[in-house]
Amino acid sequence: MLACAVLLAAAMAPELEIVLSPAPARLAVQVSLSGELPAEWMDGLSAGAPVSVTYRMRLFRNRRWLWDQRLGGHELVVKAQRDPLTGVFTLSAELDGEILASGQTDGLNEAVHWVTHPPSADIRVPLRHEPLWLVGRAEFFTRYKLLVIPTKEASEWVTRAVPEAP
Amino acid sequence: MTDWRRRWQRYRRQNRFLISVYLVLALLAAAGFALFSRLRGLPSEELTNRLLFFLLWWFDLTLIAVLLFILVRNSVKLLLERHQGILGSRFRTKLLLSYLVLILLPTALLSVLAAALLSQASASWFTAPVEEMSRTGTELAAEVRESTERDAQRAAATIARELAPLGSGEARTARLEQLHTLLGNDFTGLSVAGRPVVELADPRERRVQRLPPLELGQSRPTGVRSERSGGTVIVRAWQRLPDGAVVVVGDAVPDRQAELQRRLATTGAEYERLKLERPTMTATALLSFGALALLVAFAAMWLGLYLSRTFTAPLLALVATTNRVAAGETLEEVPIPAEDEVGLLVGSFNAMVRRLRSQEKELRATVGRLDAVLGAVRTGVLTLDAERHGAQGNPAAATLLGEPRLAVESVPLDDLAAAGLGRLVDVIRGARGLQRTSLTIHRGGTARALEVAVVPLGEEQRRTGWVVALEDMTQLVRAQRQAAWSEVARQIAHQIKNPLTPIRLAAERMARHVERGSGDLAEVVPQGCRSIVEHVLSMQEMVDAFSRYARLPATSRRPTRLAELVGQVVGLYDGVRPGIAVRCEDRLGEREVLLDPEQIRQVLSNLIDNAVEASSDGGEVVVTVRPEGAEVVVEIADQGRGLDVVDPDLLFQPFYSTKGRGSGIGLAVVQRIVTDHGGTVRLEPNQPRGARAVVRLPGGDA
Repeated sequence: MLACAVLLAAAMAPELEIVLSPAPARLAVQVSLSGELPAEWMDGLSAGAPVSVTYRMRLFRNRRWLWDQRLGGHELVVKAQRDPLTGVFTLSAELDGEILASGQTDGLNEAVHWVTHPPSADIRVPLRHEPLWLVGRAEFFTRYKLLVIPTKEASEWVTRAVPEAP
Repeated sequence: MTDWRRRWQRYRRQNRFLISVYLVLALLAAAGFALFSRLRGLPSEELTNRLLFFLLWWFDLTLIAVLLFILVRNSVKLLLERHQGILGSRFRTKLLLSYLVLILLPTALLSVLAAALLSQASASWFTAPVEEMSRTGTELAAEVRESTERDAQRAAATIARELAPLGSGEARTARLEQLHTLLGNDFTGLSVAGRPVVELADPRERRVQRLPPLELGQSRPTGVRSERSGGTVIVRAWQRLPDGAVVVVGDAVPDRQAELQRRLATTGAEYERLKLERPTMTATALLSFGALALLVAFAAMWLGLYLSRTFTAPLLALVATTNRVAAGETLEEVPIPAEDEVGLLVGSFNAMVRRLRSQEKELRATVGRLDAVLGAVRTGVLTLDAERHGAQGNPAAATLLGEPRLAVESVPLDDLAAAGLGRLVDVIRGARGLQRTSLTIHRGGTARALEVAVVPLGEEQRRTGWVVALEDMTQLVRAQRQAAWSEVARQIAHQIKNPLTPIRLAAERMARHVERGSGDLAEVVPQGCRSIVEHVLSMQEMVDAFSRYARLPATSRRPTRLAELVGQVVGLYDGVRPGIAVRCEDRLGEREVLLDPEQIRQVLSNLIDNAVEASSDGGEVVVTVRPEGAEVVVEIADQGRGLDVVDPDLLFQPFYSTKGRGSGIGLAVVQRIVTDHGGTVRLEPNQPRGARAVVRLPGGDA
């Protein structure tokens, strides 16, 4: 029964899709989430609590004999908060601390869509000949095992090979 | 400056570096974490929470690491010390374990209990009723807003419906004014091609009119939007007319209502935010409590180690000192100062050490004096242990026994026996208590007469040693022998002189008669010859007695029932002289004594002879045999004339007689036999009259 519950929870976890569009020394990362978002997250958004989804992206260089070398890490934080007085959702997207986009919307679905389909993130990619990999996941909030050990409520890590720039 | 202050300063100096390193590391870690979080664009309030959380984790982890380090280090150290048998390790182990159990167990229980209480309290904050109330409040605020929006939309639709047939112109404006007044809107406007044409506003609610124009989408014919403005919420709805004009209706929510709505909505949102933050808050509280508990445990453990060190240090110093003293090192005081009961113990020990030092000094002085005395005296002294394995002596003993090693070291008795001192060794080993004896040893071709006294030390059941005193009697014996020979010569001369005079007189008389040619030669010569022969016979008898005394055979002792022997001898005197009774009193019974029965029979005969001879008619001679301690006593008492000499010991000299007849050798023989048996004999007055001979023989087991 426990295994079924775990499998069910895994099946219900949102899935992250990453689409990469390479450019010289740059990489456009389009992330999108599908599936049900965590109930606590949705409840908080509906009730006016500030919520966010952090899209963590890590760029690795593939090495044959050693572990993959991490070339860089980026965070795309998409925040949403509903004004409970006016019902307006305030939205923002920040890439590595810099505002990428912001906006307002009146509907919950629009707000959720905005969060699950944030603007494309343009990140720098070092010029290398080796194959590069982008690993990313979406993090929603922090849970605690045994009350004190923090763990992230997040999607699975998704790995994508960085295509060659045209 | 007090002692505590000095200790604290020393402690601070010792630990300043470690504390500084720890604080610097904590600050660097906190700063690094803050910088890292800042780079990630965290808002300030979240940054504060994260930083607090990080610091709590830092303190908890470092305290756990320090505690584990101290535990492991001290456990390993104590185990090694116990394995090596270092003094005090067992005590410290027990003390540390006691502290750990006494402190860590309650702390762990309290931590678990606190965690449970915190979790329960946290759960009680977010109960279903509270959540329902919060959600209902939020929904109520939203419902009120939506109601206002619906009203505004309805008003805009109504106005649009009324204005649509009128076309553009003053009629439309007039109707608009009528409807504005009729519907009681706070704001009513009409825009054409995105530009406001008419704006009607309630003079009491100019806030609506001051809002920027709505950005009306082309595709949506109607809509509504709520906006915050000046502490209230303004709802603006629009309705597009068929000709493209747009009617805008605006209503401001009353301030009081808006405030209540805001509070409801804000509370609900805050509740949801807290609910999302609840695990973090619980974890933070638990980590805070855990840090406190770890601090308490750390302090308790440090205190336990400090106290165990404080308790054991003076005790260990005390034990180490006593061990050194027990191992034979010099007495020394314990240097560690202590102020409690242990201090009293250390003080008592130091006082005892001082007293022992003083006594030791006196003892050394006494021993030195004793050594000087023993080195100076001519009496040889041997000391032996309780088991009499070996003997050590003073220089006189070494000289007397011809064993120089005795003055330097302990010499085994077997070595002494092998060196020709077997008789002395037998005397020493055979002594059961105080024993005196005389013996002659032959060393280096010379004979040495020794008076030996073996003295036990301690009680009979718990002997602590033996002391043997050796008195060189060689010169004294020689002198006594010379004196005895002088006395013998004098007595012999006296005894010989007595018959010589009558012999000389008889010879001179016969010579005178011969010279004168006396006619009575036939009478004188035989008379003179008889006198000469008679006195020569007397001299012959004296010489025979002397010969008997000199040829007294060696003693051959064997177990003998002395009482029976005495009875036999007494029986021989039954009726030997009329009017004299000789009887025996036996108080010894069947006890056997080691003696030569023939020689003792001679002793008894001589003494009873004297007693019978000294008794007058009607007298009684009583021979008593009885035990007395370790001796057997034989008393021969008569009721005769008693002793008529001042010194009774003279009677034991050979050829000394008060009877005017006999050889005077009987009592000398008695004394010699008794002495050869290790006993004594003496003469003393009998009560009420007469004399009494007392013979004491060693009455040990046969």
